[in-house]
Amino acid sequence: MYLVALSELLGASVRDASGTVRGRVRDLAVAPQDHPTRIAYLVVQTADGERILPPEVLTSAGATVRASTESSAWDRHTPSDGVLLLKRDLLDQQIIDVHGRKVVRVNDVEIESIPVNSHLVLNVVAVDVGARGAIRRLSKGLVPSFTLRALLERIPPRVIPWRYVDLLETDPARRVKLKIAYEGLARLHPADIANIVENLAPAEREAVFETIDEEVAAETLEELDPDVKISVVESLDRDRAADIVEEMDPDAAADLLGDLNEDHSDQILKEMEPEERREVTQLLEFGEHTAAGRMTTEYIAVPDTAVVDDAIEALKSFEGSREALATIYLTGKAHTLVGAVPLVTIAISSPAAQLSDLSEPFVSCPPDTPQDEVAALFDKYNLITLAVVDEHGRLAGIITADDVITMLRHRH
Amino acid sequence: MGFLKSWRVRIALVVAVVGPGFITANVDNDAGGIAIYSLAGAQFGYSLLWAMIPIAIALVVVQEMAARMGAVTGKGLSDLIREEFGFRVTFFLMLALVITNFGNVVAEFAGVASSLELFGVSRYIIVPAAAAIVWLLVVKGTYESIEKIFLTASAFYICYIVAGLLAHPDWKAAVVGTVSRPPATAVRSYSYVFMLIGLVGTTIAPWMQFYLQASIVEKGITARQYRTSRWDVILGCLFAALVAWFIIVACAATLYTTGRTDIKDASDAAQALRPLAGEYAYLLFAAGLFNASLFAASILPISTAYAVCEGLGFESGLDKQFHEAPVFYWLYTLLIVLGAGVLLIPRMPLIHVMAVSQVVNGIVLPFVLVFMLLLTNDRELMGKHVNSRAYNVVVWVTVVVMVSLTLAMVIAQLRM
Repeated sequence: MYLVALSELLGASVRDASGTVRGRVRDLAVAPQDHPTRIAYLVVQTADGERILPPEVLTSAGATVRASTESSAWDRHTPSDGVLLLKRDLLDQQIIDVHGRKVVRVNDVEIESIPVNSHLVLNVVAVDVGARGAIRRLSKGLVPSFTLRALLERIPPRVIPWRYVDLLETDPARRVKLKIAYEGLARLHPADIANIVENLAPAEREAVFETIDEEVAAETLEELDPDVKISVVESLDRDRAADIVEEMDPDAAADLLGDLNEDHSDQILKEMEPEERREVTQLLEFGEHTAAGRMTTEYIAVPDTAVVDDAIEALKSFEGSREALATIYLTGKAHTLVGAVPLVTIAISSPAAQLSDLSEPFVSCPPDTPQDEVAALFDKYNLITLAVVDEHGRLAGIITADDVITMLRHRH
Repeated sequence: MGFLKSWRVRIALVVAVVGPGFITANVDNDAGGIAIYSLAGAQFGYSLLWAMIPIAIALVVVQEMAARMGAVTGKGLSDLIREEFGFRVTFFLMLALVITNFGNVVAEFAGVASSLELFGVSRYIIVPAAAAIVWLLVVKGTYESIEKIFLTASAFYICYIVAGLLAHPDWKAAVVGTVSRPPATAVRSYSYVFMLIGLVGTTIAPWMQFYLQASIVEKGITARQYRTSRWDVILGCLFAALVAWFIIVACAATLYTTGRTDIKDASDAAQALRPLAGEYAYLLFAAGLFNASLFAASILPISTAYAVCEGLGFESGLDKQFHEAPVFYWLYTLLIVLGAGVLLIPRMPLIHVMAVSQVVNGIVLPFVLVFMLLLTNDRELMGKHVNSRAYNVVVWVTVVVMVSLTLAMVIAQLRM
């Protein structure tokens, strides 16, 4: 087995069984439907048009490519959407380096060549994004190949293993054929995905958001820069946008829809499930820069007669964001706020303990509190969550510390 | 009401996208540009004014392509060149871009120095201070805040229009000179043609295309907003051409009519204006030069660093830390430090630095323009926004004229 670079193969002369040069390598194709890494065929430019050469008929692949068949037996090349052409689709293009969590540009592609019986199996191993690939391509044809190889050995490689590469493809139909699902990307932390997405062109952002799981998309959207966020949502079709917005925290969803133009946010709201729509519409009615505009309506509240066990049950069935879990609120008649128990207290108390006995003094604010005052409350009382209470003393929602940090950072 | 509202909406739309086109066109009137315009007015009076109309058209046509590409693809010019034409082409193009832009940076700092030297401030104070301001402005600012500063700097070019008014030109002669054909006798004169080439040659520079396209992308302008964004480009180019026109007119009305044709650069022009057009015109000319030079010095290094890093695949962006994007920050810093540093070396032959930069500029330009043409005609890339056939004719003519005049300037430069 040995490694050969894509740039070494491109332009290499191709000899047929008789040893005569019949053409030059134009491109290399991978058919992800059949095998994710294997080279399906070489595209060869001959005097008689483009022909294809599967590795099963190759006896060597390097500066010269040798085939074990006559050139008359080589099939004609018919372009297909379902194959990945390494030069056209990969070389010099941007890809997502899932391991390094960033967008990088491909300088070269490393291919391993394994002799099997009397032919070759070629596999894509890694993409080269460092100086080695760059210098190889700069000096190709100018420096004798053995000198070049010796020189390149001295350069530490910067490669990304093929399994950590997510390709960018903006055409949805082709994405399906090439089996591009952004699985690697979707496993990253939403904040990292957001960072990557911000470095992409708008069409590529749209491609990512159309493809990845709605829940991941929603969390990623929350992390995006406000301008990018809006342009992404505007680029998606209404259905898809509504599906993603439903998965967002209601406060974040309301913020986002508030920033869109009215027609657009109405259309998205129309596509949403009734329950989520109601929550978001309520929040939309509050001023964006008040406590109510910053609060979420997904929190844990249990009756003031409940015991620790009930609180744990409520925790288990809670579907909102993790930040909202820090405090369990106790409500009395007509949903009036009567107490608050920190999660830590619940964890260290016996299952049968009355929550009302564990309750601590709590801080709350009215819905129209300006956001600066909200931040001041968090600072003064070292809060993790803050309850928002309406004029009748009813719990309307809660604000979590992460929202306050975001708010403070975006104020400038 | 409906009418009023629709206009308000339209104005709001224009305001939202104004910036990149306006800024780019105005930076084009940098230290070198102002020097050429001053010389043109001083030596040939109103007889070169006609050239401003074709120059404005060429500027609009080329800038429009860059802006459209940015809006449609969401990618920078060096990204697209890399993706379509490969690594080797991009590498040499970027190398050349660095060389020519370095020369431009030197020229801008020279402009900063000479404008303030008119007021008796030593260049050993001004140049380091200007370099520090430029470095900090870009590294510490955000895109929005910098854009506001740059737009304000663009507005400052009104200095030259006011100076033109103060010079009391012969308006009739100026207008006639603008709309009539060039005088037949002048066209046969070598120095007239040389000056014409200089005028055109400074109009379209490679860096502008990279900068404009990148800032369209950075501002998040998409294909849908592009129709509005085009006005940004057109208005910017027209304003820039108007400013250039006034510089020529101011110098024609004063220096040309009194025979003061021996000026060498823009600060000479300001000084020569003093006894002829008065203290205010002199101050405005000097302030305008300072503004233009500092403005261009702020834009060139950062735009170069972005273009090079994006094309060659290095990490780039001011949102990154120094250790995350070392090539980007080093390139940016070195362009400023070395560009300003050259001016502090006593007896440095600045003329030669500029000449080399001009020559490389002339060599790079044809490649950049042809790449832009190929890219804007690529249907896979541009979709329905490809150049129309009629537009292609206009663009090709512009490109061929631009390229031949620029190459002519290079040859003339080499012979000097």
